[in-house]
Amino acid sequence: MSEFLTLVPPVAVLLPVAVLVALLPRRSGHALGALVPALAVAWVWFVPTGAHLQTTFLGFDAVLFNVDDFSRLMGLIFGLIAAVAVLYSYASEADTTQTGFALSYVATSFGAVFAGDWLSLLFFWELMAVTSTLLVWHYGGKAVRAGFRYALLHGLGGTLLMAAILQTYVAKGTFLFASVPNGPETAGIAAGLPAALAAVGIGVNVGFIGLHAWLPDTYPRPHVAASVFLCVFTTKTGVYGMYRAFPDGHVAVAYMGGGMAVFGAMFALFQNDMRRLLSYHIQSQVGYMVAGVGIGGALAQAGAFAHVFNHILYKGLLFMTAGVVIYRTGTESLKKLGGLWREMPLTAGAFSVAALSIAGFPGFNGFVSKGIVISASHYSFSKGPLPVGEFYTLEWLLLLGGVGTFMSFIKFGYYAFFHGEYEGSVPDANRLQSVAMLTVAALCVAYGIFDSALFAILPFDVTNEAVVDHVYKTYTVPHIVEGVALAALGLVGFAATKKPLSKLGRVPDVDRLYNPVVFYGTRALVVGVTELYAAVDRAVVRATAVVVRTATEPDELLAQLRDTSAGDDGLAHPLRAGIGFSVLILAVFVTVALLLLS
Amino acid sequence: MIDHLPVLLVVLPILGGAVPLVVSLLHERAGWAVATLTVAGQVALAGLLAWTVETSGTVSYEVGGFAAPYGIELVVDGLSAAVALLVAVVALGVLAYARHAGPRSNSFYSLYLLLVAGLTGMSVTGDVFNLYVFLEITGLAAYGLVASGDEAKSAVAALKYLIIGTVGASLYLLGVGYLLAATGTLNMADLAGKLGSMAAYDSTLVLTAFGLMVGGLTVKVALFPLHTWQPDAYANAPDTVSAFISALVSTVSAYALARLLFSVFTVEFLSAVPIARWALLGLACVSVVTGSALAVSQSSVQRMLAYSSVSQFGLVVAGFTVGTPMAVVGASVHLLGHAVMKGGLFAATGVIERKTGATTLNGYAGMGSRVPVTAGAFSVLALAMVGVPPAIGFVGKWFIVFGAVKAEIWPVVVVLLASTLLTLAYFARLVERLYFAEATIHADEQADATADVPADATVADGSGRAVSTGMVAVVVAAAVLAVALTAAVPAFEQVLNETLPQLLTQ
Repeated sequence: MSEFLTLVPPVAVLLPVAVLVALLPRRSGHALGALVPALAVAWVWFVPTGAHLQTTFLGFDAVLFNVDDFSRLMGLIFGLIAAVAVLYSYASEADTTQTGFALSYVATSFGAVFAGDWLSLLFFWELMAVTSTLLVWHYGGKAVRAGFRYALLHGLGGTLLMAAILQTYVAKGTFLFASVPNGPETAGIAAGLPAALAAVGIGVNVGFIGLHAWLPDTYPRPHVAASVFLCVFTTKTGVYGMYRAFPDGHVAVAYMGGGMAVFGAMFALFQNDMRRLLSYHIQSQVGYMVAGVGIGGALAQAGAFAHVFNHILYKGLLFMTAGVVIYRTGTESLKKLGGLWREMPLTAGAFSVAALSIAGFPGFNGFVSKGIVISASHYSFSKGPLPVGEFYTLEWLLLLGGVGTFMSFIKFGYYAFFHGEYEGSVPDANRLQSVAMLTVAALCVAYGIFDSALFAILPFDVTNEAVVDHVYKTYTVPHIVEGVALAALGLVGFAATKKPLSKLGRVPDVDRLYNPVVFYGTRALVVGVTELYAAVDRAVVRATAVVVRTATEPDELLAQLRDTSAGDDGLAHPLRAGIGFSVLILAVFVTVALLLLS
Repeated sequence: MIDHLPVLLVVLPILGGAVPLVVSLLHERAGWAVATLTVAGQVALAGLLAWTVETSGTVSYEVGGFAAPYGIELVVDGLSAAVALLVAVVALGVLAYARHAGPRSNSFYSLYLLLVAGLTGMSVTGDVFNLYVFLEITGLAAYGLVASGDEAKSAVAALKYLIIGTVGASLYLLGVGYLLAATGTLNMADLAGKLGSMAAYDSTLVLTAFGLMVGGLTVKVALFPLHTWQPDAYANAPDTVSAFISALVSTVSAYALARLLFSVFTVEFLSAVPIARWALLGLACVSVVTGSALAVSQSSVQRMLAYSSVSQFGLVVAGFTVGTPMAVVGASVHLLGHAVMKGGLFAATGVIERKTGATTLNGYAGMGSRVPVTAGAFSVLALAMVGVPPAIGFVGKWFIVFGAVKAEIWPVVVVLLASTLLTLAYFARLVERLYFAEATIHADEQADATADVPADATVADGSGRAVSTGMVAVVVAAAVLAVALTAAVPAFEQVLNETLPQLLTQ
C-alpha cells in the first residue's frame, strides 16, 4: 500500500489534472479540480515519512518526493484550500482556463514543498512564478502590467536564490537536503554570502519590507477567485523555503519578521481597496511566520508552521468574503460600501470569523498559533536592543502588529458591513460560495477551540517539556487577557484614528494639517518605491526593446552605427577582412601572445 | 590485424584515395563508389578501435617497430577514438549527401579521402611533428576541396584559406622546433615528462613554443580574431564540402589543441603559468561573445552558421582550459555534438537552397511549409545548438558550466550563460522566419523562372535543382543524432574518466 502511495510525486498527477480541467466542460472540470486536491490531502496524510523517488538528474542526486513533518503539513493545507478554492471558483464564474492555470500553480507548489533537494525546489519555485504569472495575466486589463512587474521581481528573486544554491553546492558538494540519505552534514544554505543571497531571494517571495511592493500591486487585480489561490501559495512556500535555508534561524530574519508584522499592519490601515488591504495583511501575517523561522528552535518553528496552516485558512476566507462583496456589488473600495450586513448576513458572519481569527481573538485559530510565535519570541529568543518592561523587543513588535491588525479589520468590517446604509439591494453569497466559506469558517473556529487537533500535525510537540523551551498552553488567564487587551487597544485605536483615517487620501489638502509626518513619510516612501519601480520598469522595457531590435533588425542597426548609406552589397558581408589584413591580424596576435607570455 | 588497427585507420583512406585517380583512366564516375567503400571500411575499423579502447583501455602503436621516443607513436585513448569514429561516421554521412549533390569528379573523391586520412591521423597521433604532417595534409586537402566549387568566389576563398592556414601551420611548426630545442624529443608522452624537469615551465623557450603552437592551432580552430578565413571558406565552398569541413576540420583542430594542452604541456603547466590559462580563457570568452555578435549581424544563413562556429569553439576551448574533469568531459561532448549539429545545419541549408533558392535570412521566411521535413530538422538542430534539453548541445554546455562553477571561475560562467542567450538570439530569428513570417520567395515565381530556361540547366539562383532522399535523410539523421547522442553521454564520460585521468591530475 505504502509503495503505491510513493510511486509518483504529487506534482506529476496534479499537472495533468490541471491540463484536463482546462479542457473539460466547466462543471465536470471543476468537479475534477476540486476532487483531486481533496484526494491529495488524503494521500499526504497516509504517505509514509522518508525520501522517495531518489534519482539522478544530469549526474546530480535529486529527490523528487521527500516527506517529513514540515512538507506533510504544507501538503495537507495546500490540498485542502485548493479544493475549496476550486469550488469557490466554480461558484464565482471563473472559466476553466483560469482554474486550469490555478491548478497548475497548485501543482508546482506541491512540487516545491515535496522536493528533497535544492535543485528540484528551485525548479518548481521558478515554475510557480511562471504559473502564477499566467494566472494573473489571464484576467487581462490592468492585471497584465502588474503581472509583468510580478514576474520580473520573482525572476530576480529566483536568480538570487539560484546563486545562493550554486554556492552552497560548491561548499557542500551536493544539492540534497541534510535530512535525506547521502545528504550533507549540515542543513540549510552555506553561511556568509550565500545565506545573504538566499535571504534576499526568498525575501522577495515572503515580502520582506522593501521587496513587498508586488504583493499589494498584483493580488488585488485579477479575478476574485484567482486572488484566493494567489494569497495562499507563493508566500507560504516562501516561508517553507526560508525554513529549509535557515533551519537554525537567524537573528536578522527574526527582526525582519517583526518589522514586517508592524509595517504590513500599518500600511493595511491606510488602504481603502479591500483586496489591497488584505494583501498588506499577508505581509503582516507572514511576518509572524518569518519571525518564527528566524527565532529557530522547536517552539518557534512549530509556531511558524502552525501559523502557516491557520493563516491559509483565514486569509483564504477573507479573500473569499471580499470576493463575494466585489462579485455582488462590483465595488472594490470601502469608501463606497457600507451597511452590507443587512444585505449579506452570511458573508458578514464569515468575515467576522475570519477577522477575529487573523486578529488573534481568543477562541479562534489565529489566537492559538500567533500565541506560540509570541511565546517563542519571549522564551526562545534574546531580549534584543529595546526591551520595554517585561516585553522583549521582538515580542512587543509582534504584539504591536496584533493591535494594528485589530484596527484595520475593525476598519474593514465597519466600513463594509456596519457603517451607514447600503443604497439598493444586493443578494448574499450564492449557495456554493456559502458552502466554501462556511467550511473554512468552521475550520477556523474548530482549530481555535480544539487546539490539540492543530498541535497533532505540527512538526514539534509544543505541549511536551522535553521538546520545547517552554510548554505552550493556549488558554491561560494571562494569554486570554492579552488577546482581549489587544482587541480593546485596537478598538480604542480605531476610534481615535477613525477620523484622520477617513480623511486620508480622500481630501489630501486637509490631510496635511492632520498628520503631516505620516502623510509626507508615507508619500515619500510610496512615491520613492513606485518611482524606483517605474524607473526599473522603464529601463528594462528599453533594454529589451534594444535587444529585440538588435536581434530582429541588425542590418538597420549596423547601418545606423556606421552612418553610411551602403547598398545591399555592402551590408551582405559586413566586417569582412581581406587576406593581407588577416595575416596582419595573425602576426599581431602571435606577437601579443608571445609578449604576454614572456 | 587488431594490433595494427591505429595505423590501418590512416593507411586505408590514403590507399583508397589513390584508387579513383587510377580508375579515372577507365571510368569517369567511379569515385563515389570507391570513396563509399573505403569510408565504410573506415567506419568499421574506427568502431572496432573504439570498442577496443572501451574494453581494454588506451591503445598505443609504434609505427615501423621503432621504439617510442625516437620512432613515431600512435596513441588512441577514449577522446581520440571518439574523434576518429566521428570523422569516419560524418564522412560516410556526407558521402550519402554528395551522391546527388556532387561534385562528381574522381579527383574530388581522392581529395575527400585524403582529408579523411589527414583528420584521422591528427586524432590518433602521439607525436607533435607527426601532428604537423597530418595538419598539413588536412589543410591541403581542405584548400583543394573548397576550391572545387564552380564559382570564382570559391577559388578566392580557398586562396585566402590557403595563405592564412599555411602561415598558421608554419607557426605551429616553429613552436615544435622550439620544443625540440628545449627537450630533444617530439613524442607527446616523452615531452610531457621532460617539460618541467629538463626545461622549466616558465622558461622563455617553452613559453614561446606554447605561444606559437597554440597560436598556430587557433588559426585552424578559427577562434576570433583568427577566424577571418572561415566564413568565406564555409559559405563559398560547395554544399557537400561546407557540411564536411564545418563538421570536422575545426573540430579535429580543437581536439589537437586539447591534446596539446593535456598530453604535452599538461595541467601542471597551466597551473604553473597562470597567465597562459587566463590568456586562453580570455581568448575563448572573447570568441564566444564576438562570434555570436557577428553571427547575429549576418544576413546570409551560411555565414551566420560559420560565425556561430567561432562562438561555439570558444565554448569548447574554454571548457578544455578550465581543465577540471567535468569541464573537459563537457568540452569533449560539445566538440563531438557540435560537429554533428553544425554538419547537419550546413547540409540543411544546402537542401533548402536547392529546393527554394533561399540563402538569406529574409529568404527563409515562410519556408517551413515549403520544405517541412528539412525545416523541421533544421529547427531541431538549431534548438539543440542553443542548448534546449534533452539535446546533446545542452549536456555539453551544462557540464562545461558546472565545471567552471566547481573551479569557481565566475567570469567564465557568466560568459557561458550569456552565450546561450546569444545563440538563441540568432537561431530564434531563423526559426521565427521559417515558421512565422510571410514568404518572400514564392513557389509560382520560381516555377516561372524555371520554365524560362532549358530543363537541365542550372537556374541562376540555384533553385529548382532536385534534391535526393539521401540528402534529406542525412539532415534528418543529424537531427535525430543531436538528440539521441545524449543517451551515449554516460558511457562516453566513463571511457574518458578511465583513459584520461593521468592527464587530469587536478
